[in-house]
Amino acid sequence: MELEPALESKPATGQALPRKTARHYLRKTWIFHLMILPSLIFLIIFNYIPMAGIVMSFQDFKPWLGILGSDWIGLDNYRFLFERKDSLQVIWNTLLIAGLKIIFNLLVPFTFAIFLNEIRILVFKRIVQTFVYLPHFLSWVILGGILLDILSTDGGIVNRMLAALGLPQVFFLGNGNWFRVTVIVSDVWKEFGFGTIVFLAALANINPTLYEAAEVDGASRFKQTIYITIPAMIPIAIVVGTLSLGNILNAGFDQIFNLYNPLVYEKGDIIDTFVYRVGILSGEFGFGTAIGLFKSVVSMILICLSYYIAYRWANYRIF
Amino acid sequence: MKTKLQKAMFMTLCLIMVISLFVACSNRPNEPASPTGGTTATGGSSGGSTSGGSSGDQSGSPYRDKYDPPVTITTAWGVDPALTFKNGETIENNVATRWALETLGIKIESLWSVTDTNGAFATKLRLAMTSGQPMPEVVTLGAGDTQLVHDLIDSGMYREVGTLFDEYANDIWKKAMNLDPNVWLPYMKDGQRYGIPVLDYAYNHDYLLWIRQDWLDALGLKAPETLEELEAVMEAFKYNNPQGLSPDEVIPLDIGFKNSMNTWMSDPSWVFGMFGTLPEQWNLAADGSLEYGSVHPGIKQGLAKLKEWLNKGYIPQEAALWDENKTAEPAVAGKVGIIPGPYWMSGWPLLDTAKNVEGAVWKPHKIPTGPDGTAMRHGTHFTNGVTLLHKDMKHPEAFFTYQNYLFEHLADPPVGGVFEHGVFEGYDYAFDENGNLLTGDDVPGGSVTAPLRYFLVRDGARIPDAQMKALLNLATGKEPTTVREKEVVLYYGPETANAAVVLLEQEEISKKNMFVGAPTETMKTKWDYLQKLERETFNAIIYGEKPLDAFDQFVKDWKAGGGDQITKEVNDWYKKTTG
Repeated sequence: MELEPALESKPATGQALPRKTARHYLRKTWIFHLMILPSLIFLIIFNYIPMAGIVMSFQDFKPWLGILGSDWIGLDNYRFLFERKDSLQVIWNTLLIAGLKIIFNLLVPFTFAIFLNEIRILVFKRIVQTFVYLPHFLSWVILGGILLDILSTDGGIVNRMLAALGLPQVFFLGNGNWFRVTVIVSDVWKEFGFGTIVFLAALANINPTLYEAAEVDGASRFKQTIYITIPAMIPIAIVVGTLSLGNILNAGFDQIFNLYNPLVYEKGDIIDTFVYRVGILSGEFGFGTAIGLFKSVVSMILICLSYYIAYRWANYRIF
Repeated sequence: MKTKLQKAMFMTLCLIMVISLFVACSNRPNEPASPTGGTTATGGSSGGSTSGGSSGDQSGSPYRDKYDPPVTITTAWGVDPALTFKNGETIENNVATRWALETLGIKIESLWSVTDTNGAFATKLRLAMTSGQPMPEVVTLGAGDTQLVHDLIDSGMYREVGTLFDEYANDIWKKAMNLDPNVWLPYMKDGQRYGIPVLDYAYNHDYLLWIRQDWLDALGLKAPETLEELEAVMEAFKYNNPQGLSPDEVIPLDIGFKNSMNTWMSDPSWVFGMFGTLPEQWNLAADGSLEYGSVHPGIKQGLAKLKEWLNKGYIPQEAALWDENKTAEPAVAGKVGIIPGPYWMSGWPLLDTAKNVEGAVWKPHKIPTGPDGTAMRHGTHFTNGVTLLHKDMKHPEAFFTYQNYLFEHLADPPVGGVFEHGVFEGYDYAFDENGNLLTGDDVPGGSVTAPLRYFLVRDGARIPDAQMKALLNLATGKEPTTVREKEVVLYYGPETANAAVVLLEQEEISKKNMFVGAPTETMKTKWDYLQKLERETFNAIIYGEKPLDAFDQFVKDWKAGGGDQITKEVNDWYKKTTG
């Protein structure tokens, strides 16, 4: 709608301004409505119509009977979800792993962007930036195989380095607590380069006169970072954090699926791997949908909450 | 003037976008629909004409040895990622589809195909069923997809096939099927047969111990026959290694249980077998009922043994993280003394060991016996999947024409027959200018891995006992004469024949999983949890995170958590199907 005045202003000159009726408004702007139509249709077809599938979570869904023909079983799927002894553990695992990933995927790129910004040699800066960005493009299937080798207790490079330093061997992928650490660290390693880009953009937007003024006042490089750079980056950090909160129940299916094993089921099994085994492998569509809906509801609450927080503290608005 | 032009441009832009949207939308449903349309058309025309059939069959039956005009069968493919093609061919259009059209007058039409990794084929088929897309008329599914097979049967889209089989299948096929009448059991519904079992070679997944004979000889040891002897051999391999490996480098016994305690290679289930049970399968108990192996008391002793071996460094320290393919790596690298696996392992992967370590020799040996003389290994069903036929299929008899031909000519190819030298000339075999047979990498332009996989039913046609018969003949020192025997010599490793003998010497210890029906009602909701509990507990005990007595608690939890109910349901099924 932003374009409207610009377009309207030209023919409007020299003519008497007509009354703004709804009909007139449409006649003036129908072209924009038409332009938005394809996206709207897409949205309805691919996002709204499938929502009707939520009904499946209350049914003993059988594909060949369809949504209308399947038996109605009420809340049985939900009861089954919370009756399983490991459900709470799985939800807790998901929250913990996803939560820590969100925190570290915010802190690490934030810090790294500041460090990178201090580098004077432009070529070196660019090279580093590209290199930390590269792992983002590797798939977890490949990384899973690589991690299995380098984290091995049987001659893996990491454990050999630990041994050289006189530290005890660590069974990274076979010990529940270390498994969580491994999952989080490897995810941060893979993704922080990508996150850094956003923060570097924010850094580039800081008005250089602020630094000049600070220098005149005799502020050291360190003080400039503390009092100018960091405060200027806080709003964007809050935005990034807010947006990622929607993922609080996505602990990273492909990563866990490629790395987990029976030894770490207790601390590593997450909602998505659980849905995969029950919903997809055994074809329990109703149950799969029930968990999906549960996830969506929790995510929705968290998004509302974080939006409120961002609005209060960072004056960030979407609507 | 300018604004009008602008508006016109906007409008055109909008129109283009809207039109492209509709085009994009309308393309989708059309595409898969067209093959079915084609099918009905072809089917209708050939059904009407009775003239020109090349065979002299009874004129009343629609069955022909060759259809003229050709009939069409639709199917869908899950392509093994390891399968290779040449000359720019695809699974939809290759030497096998041309062969079917030219030889049998059967046109194979593909609805879709997908590279079958991580169960992609089953997933896509399930989605096709869910979204109401046209389903393939002939579809072959692996043994692991029982649930999907039963969903497809229950959906009513796929027909009863028992009567068709009785009417159209030829004697060779029927005889092969009769070797074990139980092959039909998984696909029975209300006493009728709904899927044609895909036959596979007997004992294909039975296993034995492959041991480095050069190590045994260098140490002056004989092959272990009991548990104590086995432990002595492992001890010697580790601390007195003939290859000069340090104890840390050697893996005396190479097993892995990331996926299961009962698997196809590097399988640990025989360790439990020495104590009288096999985990993760339904065994026949003394009273004739079925019992789940993993809650048998013998498991406790087996776990204690594995834990002891892990601590002593006899098995890989990361066995819980290793799947079957991972365990093959150190074996091929020459760091492994013993690896359990099927008789065909002499070919792949063990054949490569000699390339890495000079003088490495693997020999097949029997499964050792436990303290009270017991030994067990998991058995092999004679089936490797199932073929379903769609209820609307116009010419179900054409499928039998296809398979009958393969059973007659390919399953046990006679000398001088069509498939005497291999499957397709120029693909898995060729002749040089002097008429010498070329196979494997010698085939000009490279050979394809398995042209058998191009057929409608995976691996074409297999008679369960054909492979073993050939191998046993060879083991007696007989020169290979039949095609099957020559093939074994060519494509399988040097020890395969001996391995077959070893397998059959211990035939009585082979125990099949007795439950082959659809997942029971309680299994659907509880089985995943019980299985998770089981694997978690077993691994935790082996790795010392839980005491051995955690097993007793597991059995209690398992029974209370639905296990008792499932056992009852499984036994109900067993009584019903076996009568």
